Parts: sequence; C-alpha cells; structure tokens
Amino acid sequence: MENIKKEIKKGINLHMIKTDKFKTNLTAVFLTTELKRENVTKNALISSILRRGSQSMNSQEEISKQMEEMYGASFDCGLDKIGDNQILKFYIEVINDNFLPQKNENILQNSIEKILDIIFNPYIENDSFKQEYVEQEKNNIRKIIEGKIDNKARYAMDRCIEEMYKNQPYGLYKYGYTEDLEQINGKNLYEYYKEFIQECKIDIFVSGIINEKTEKFIEDNENIKKLQERNPKYIIPKVEVKEKSSQEKVITDSMEVAQGKLIMGLDVSLENPDLRYVTLIYNGLLGGSATSKLFQNVREKANLAYVASSSYIRYKGNILINCGIDIENYEKALDLIKQQIEEMKQGQFSEEEIQNIKQGIIDTIKTIKDEQDTQISYYFSQELSQEDVSIDEYIDRIQQVTKDDIIKVANEVTINTIYFLKD
Amino acid sequence: MQIIENLKVKEKVYQEKLDNGLTVLIIPKKGVEKKYMIWGTNYGSNDSTFIVPGEEKETAVPNGVAHFLEHKLFEQENGTNSLDTLTALGVDANAYTTNDHTAYLFECTGNFYEAMDELMDYVQHPYFTDENVEKEKGIIGQEIMMYNDYPDWRVYLNAMQAMYHNNPIKIDITGTIETISKIDKEILYKCYNTFYNPSNMALVVAGDFDPEQMIKEIQKRLIDKKSNGKITRIYPEEPDNIVQATIEEKLEVSQPIYTIGIKDKVKECSFENKNEIVKKHIAIEILLKLILGRSSNLYQQLYNEGIISAQPSLDYEFGKTYAHILITGQSEKPEQVYERFKKEVKNLESEGINEEDFNRIKKTIYGAYIKEYDDVEDMAKMFLSDYFKGINSFDYLEEIEGINVEYVEQMLKDVFKEEKMVLSIVKN
Repeated sequence: MENIKKEIKKGINLHMIKTDKFKTNLTAVFLTTELKRENVTKNALISSILRRGSQSMNSQEEISKQMEEMYGASFDCGLDKIGDNQILKFYIEVINDNFLPQKNENILQNSIEKILDIIFNPYIENDSFKQEYVEQEKNNIRKIIEGKIDNKARYAMDRCIEEMYKNQPYGLYKYGYTEDLEQINGKNLYEYYKEFIQECKIDIFVSGIINEKTEKFIEDNENIKKLQERNPKYIIPKVEVKEKSSQEKVITDSMEVAQGKLIMGLDVSLENPDLRYVTLIYNGLLGGSATSKLFQNVREKANLAYVASSSYIRYKGNILINCGIDIENYEKALDLIKQQIEEMKQGQFSEEEIQNIKQGIIDTIKTIKDEQDTQISYYFSQELSQEDVSIDEYIDRIQQVTKDDIIKVANEVTINTIYFLKD
Repeated sequence: MQIIENLKVKEKVYQEKLDNGLTVLIIPKKGVEKKYMIWGTNYGSNDSTFIVPGEEKETAVPNGVAHFLEHKLFEQENGTNSLDTLTALGVDANAYTTNDHTAYLFECTGNFYEAMDELMDYVQHPYFTDENVEKEKGIIGQEIMMYNDYPDWRVYLNAMQAMYHNNPIKIDITGTIETISKIDKEILYKCYNTFYNPSNMALVVAGDFDPEQMIKEIQKRLIDKKSNGKITRIYPEEPDNIVQATIEEKLEVSQPIYTIGIKDKVKECSFENKNEIVKKHIAIEILLKLILGRSSNLYQQLYNEGIISAQPSLDYEFGKTYAHILITGQSEKPEQVYERFKKEVKNLESEGINEEDFNRIKKTIYGAYIKEYDDVEDMAKMFLSDYFKGINSFDYLEEIEGINVEYVEQMLKDVFKEEKMVLSIVKN
C-alpha cells in the first residue's frame, strides 16, 4: 500500500493508491473549505444540487441509469466537518475489470469521467442552477436539518457540541440552518459555486488497479484542465491548547423520549500535539471499549445504562461521553461518571489495561489497508493536517505511551458541558 | 472437505461437517490482515416452542430467551466476562440475535488463536446463577427502552403486527420487560442444552488461513459433545391473509416514517427447491429496483414532487416460516407513496417489463453481489445466515444469469398482490 501524491495544479492534488486486493476501484473527490456561518448552508446545498445533473447527464434519472450501466457503480456524496473545515465528499465505486462478465469495458475511466463531470460541469440553464432543482434540494436540506431530532442520541451529542462551541465554527451544524434557505436561489447559488470551486482545496483519490494511464487520463480530463490553480482557503487542523473552563455548563432539553440521553463534553488541554496519542489511550480506558471504566461501572456494575461510552474528537481536543439512562437516574449516573474521571486522574488503571487498549488501537490501525474508503480517509486526514505519519510510525507512537503520560493527560481533563435530554 | 469455487467472483469456500454434527465453513482470503470468526446457532427469537430431543411433550418458554442467552453466555464461572477478555486481547468482539439465529463473533488482526480459545470456550461453557440472571434483566430492560425510542424499529415491528396473525416474527427479539421478568436459570439451561448442540450450529472463519489447518484448530477446541438429534420446532399456523391494511403509531419524528410490507407465501427451503428460492429472491430484488429504484419513473416523479427525498430501502426478508417485502423510507405523505406504488405495480403488470431496463438492473445487481466479497465480515455473516436458510451464498452469482423477463413477470403476479400489502406509519 502506497499513496503517491502528485500536485496537478497548485491547490489540486491527485493521490494514487495502487492495490489489487479489492474487487472494486474507488475514486473519491474531496472539496475542502473553511467552516463559516455565512457559507455553511450554501455548501451543503451545493453538495446536493450537483447530484441533480451535469452537462452530459441532465437529470438524476440519467445519472442513475449511467451508474446502473456500469454494473451498479455506487455514487455517493456526503458532508463532513474536520476541525474548522467543511468538506464536500464525492465517491464512485465500480467493480474492477477482472470481475466483469464482458472484458474491455474499462469502467474505471468511465466512472472517473462521470464523477468529474458531476462535480465540475454541473447542469446550468441561463447562467443559473435549474431553479426547480434548487427548490427541491432546499426542501430536502430543510428536512435533514429538521430530522436531527430523529436519532435522539446523535441529536444530544450534536447539541452538546453546539453548546461547547457557541458562536465558533466548530459549533456549526454541517447541513446548515433552515433560516438561510429563504434567500438562496439558482442564480446566487451558481454565482457562489463558481467562486467556491475556484477557491476550495481539491483532493482526488483513486484506489485500486491503476497505472500511469489512469493518472494521465485524469490530468487530461477537460474538467480538470479548466480549473485554475489556487491558494486554497481552509484551516489546517491542529490540536488546540485550551484554557481550562472554570465552571461546567449544565444544559437540559426536553423532548418526548423514553430514555434520557446524558452527554458530557470534556476539554483536554494539550500543550504538546504529540500528546494526542496519549489521549487516544486515555479515552480507551475511560469509555472507548468494553473493558473501560464507563462500560464496566456504569453499565455492568451499576446497571444504569445499556450504552455508556466515550469518543475522542482528535482535532478539537475533546472527549464526548455518551450514556442512555433512566431519567430518574440522572444524579446517580452523573456522580458515577465524575467518579470515573476522578479515578483516571489518580491513575486507578493497570498496566495490563493500558496494554489491552494499545493492542486494540494498533489492530484497528493495521486494518486500515483492508478497506479502500478507510485508507483514503487516513491519507486525506494526513493531507489536511500536513502530516506524514506512516502506519508503522503511528503504531510506534502508541507503543511508547506510558502510564505516567496518561495520568498527566488525565489531570488536564476538565468538564466543559453536561447536557441532558429528557422528557 | 468439500471445496466450492466460484469463478465469477474468484473465491473458494471449504465446507466440512464434523463428527459431532458441527458444520464448518472456511473462506480463505489471501493477503488480508483482518480475520473473522463467527459461530452461530440455528436458534432465534422465533423459536420459543419446541420439543427437546428425547422428550415427548412440548416446551414453551417466555419471549426473549434467545436474546437473553446471547447476553448471558459471556459470563464465566470465575467471575470474568468473556467480552472483556476478548476486548482485552484487542479484538473486536460482539454477538447478535435475529429471528432465526444467534451468533457470536470477533474480528481481529493479531491474537487470533487466543481469541478463538476464548470464543470457543465461552460458547461451550454456560454459567447461569439466580443472581447473574436477575442482574441482566436491568441491562436488557434499558436495551428494550432504547429500541422503543427508535422510530425505524417501531415502524418495522408494527408492519409485522399488521402482516402476521400468529407467527413469532411479530414479537420483539428482546422480548418485553414483562416476558423477560419470567426468565430464570432453569429456562436458560434448557434452551441452551437444546439449541447449542453442535449439530444445530455452524462456524464460519474468513481470513488468510490454510483451511486444513483451521479445521484442526477448531477440532482441538471442541469439547466432547454428541449430536443430540432433531429438534422439533413448533410454530403457530399462519393464515395467508394479512391482519390489517394500515397501522400507525405516534412518536416524535421530524417527518413520518413508513414501511410498505407485502406478505409472501413461504415454502420451506429444501435441497430440491433452494435454487427456486434464490431465483425468487433475485427476481424480487430486480422488481423492487424496477418499480422504485433510483432510475425508476416512480422514484423520479416522487422525488421531483418533493414527496420523497431519498431512496427508500428495498428488502426481501425470509426465513423458514415467514417471507415478506419491506419498503422503508421517510415522507410527508406516506399514503401517497403507497397509492402510487400500488398503481405502478399495476402498470408494470399490464404493460410488461422493458427489456432494456431489465438488463440494466440485472447488471447492477450482479455488481452488488461481487462487492459483497471484499470484506471478511460481510462474507462470513452472509455465508452463515444463508447457510441457516439452506442456501450457499455463491448460488446468487450462479442463478442471476438465467433469470429472464418472463420469470420476473411471473413473480410480479405471484407476490405483489394488493390484498397482501400493508402500510405502517410512525408520525407525530
């Protein structure tokens, strides 16, 4: 597994991952831009409007038919938030030629051509996105935003992050806000798109059975040729040094739920960015696995919850604790969780537990190359943060973490926000 | 050992039935880091009335025992929990219960044999006490409450209520707080001893292994247990017709969630008709895509009118005693989606299937089958659940070629019947 990076033009990179391990070839295009309140909704809308048609495939129906003809090419797009950036992601996956009933169809090239056409050559009428499409997609985005409440646990976590990052880019919801939709129309959205597409950071990844011809094919593509070089507008994600929050915020929302969702947002103040490897293990011990303190004490011993876990938001230096509990057990659960955080500070965990967490993390890292999309995500996050940590180095860093390191990090952890969703 | 090879997807499966009755399937994947093991028993939430081999009278147990057993098997006599032990080995371990099977599994890169020791040990050594059974009721109670907040789960379960009069598929896999309160250690041991016999189980391993060697490794870890003979399972008689055409529940959701269900007749899968069952499954997948897939007229119309905003999921779910189509999605106007769907079915019946559309959809489904073979987990799970249905997963790749328009049109007439359709809605 090797990622060969080539700058096609300033701000536009091609990453080639040669591998013959898979039944499929996967192409991904990532457009990265700074998260900003005034653009967040427009960016979300662009991601949906592009799926509606290109100059060569005028409608969604036509796109779908073309995809089906390529033995069911999976075309997908999504939105992501990494650090203070918003990322528009596009994927197309096709089975590789070895598994086609008829040979010589070269569906990889065909699929690359289609995805580039969709992103860089959208369907335009009178210097505007088709108004009808825009209105429909505005409605769809509205439904997604309103649909936040459907997954109660996810909603509670998003709300907690929103409270922790009030009036800051990371607190923004990646699909944007319904009140922005009113002013957007086909014309102004297309104006915005033209600017956006010439300013965003562009990364193209191709993974699978590929060669120099694939590279040449992409460089010679008309849609790529017409793009200008750029100084992309994005924020290099870095682990932040945080001021310790003096007082924890307590937020409670009410909604019709059978089970209460208790979320706690923790700040991990790190002066040295390399401490993030330590924090990863800290999180594993606290709530990142079935042997963790939260799982063992909140779920197994006290029987307060079915879900009791924590996750690490690497680029923001936060840990989110997530528990589903009986509403009347709020105080009990809260005390018990705080006790676990306290015990971490006092180093109440064994060498053996540390070893286990390390092994788990290392095993996960090793499987990165077993999945095409994970592999692409790994290289993309490196690209974005301008790092070059190989998988072996990463494993090495994890191995080096000691118990003292973890206790040191544990003592930098403070509770920022306690969020409770109840009925 | 039987070697089954598929030249289309270029994969092989090694299958062997051991002396104690256990079926082993090994799927070698060269050059892949991930290794996966899954051990399943042909026993799920539907199996709550049965005759224990050697006994005469029926045994009926409360709903939720299969799932309860799944939770409890992890607990060991020495006070440890096998899930912790496996996690401590750095492997990703889990278990799940479905309507017709229960499975214990792990995925890892390192420590495979250590994890295999643990998995095979805990599945073969149950340890239930009055105390640990009581304790589990609290955890499972929280799990039941959590599912009650999932609108997707509610809409599914309600669709089952509308379609089935008696079949246990309509019961929550976890049971209810009330039924699990009746579970005790005697019940757990009785079900364990009946269904966790090697002759009722299958073990699937996928990864970079030598199959002969792997069989030996498995045999080394099996305790001495004899095949206990046939378990008679008793399922209530199920009429062909549905219970009610519509069902609704109120829950806080931003937009109504709907499931259109079509109840199908079940044929028990046997060696003689397994190809027929696979063919039918493929034909139904083709039909669902033709009617409501991304490139279909109906999908485009509903999308453009703003009635739906994403592709509904299209599934055919079947087991020994049940079979149904499920179409699930979100819409402000679920009744409209339902009416238009019914109309489209009629149109397709009267106008016939367009050959060009048919071939394109067939290509798509072929590609989707090929893609199933990249991940050890997907493969192992697929082979296990198909095995309990009496099917070899490769059969899908073999049967798809022979499927023609006439056959699919026949299936449209046989299965997509209006009097068998239900609409389940969850909304505010």
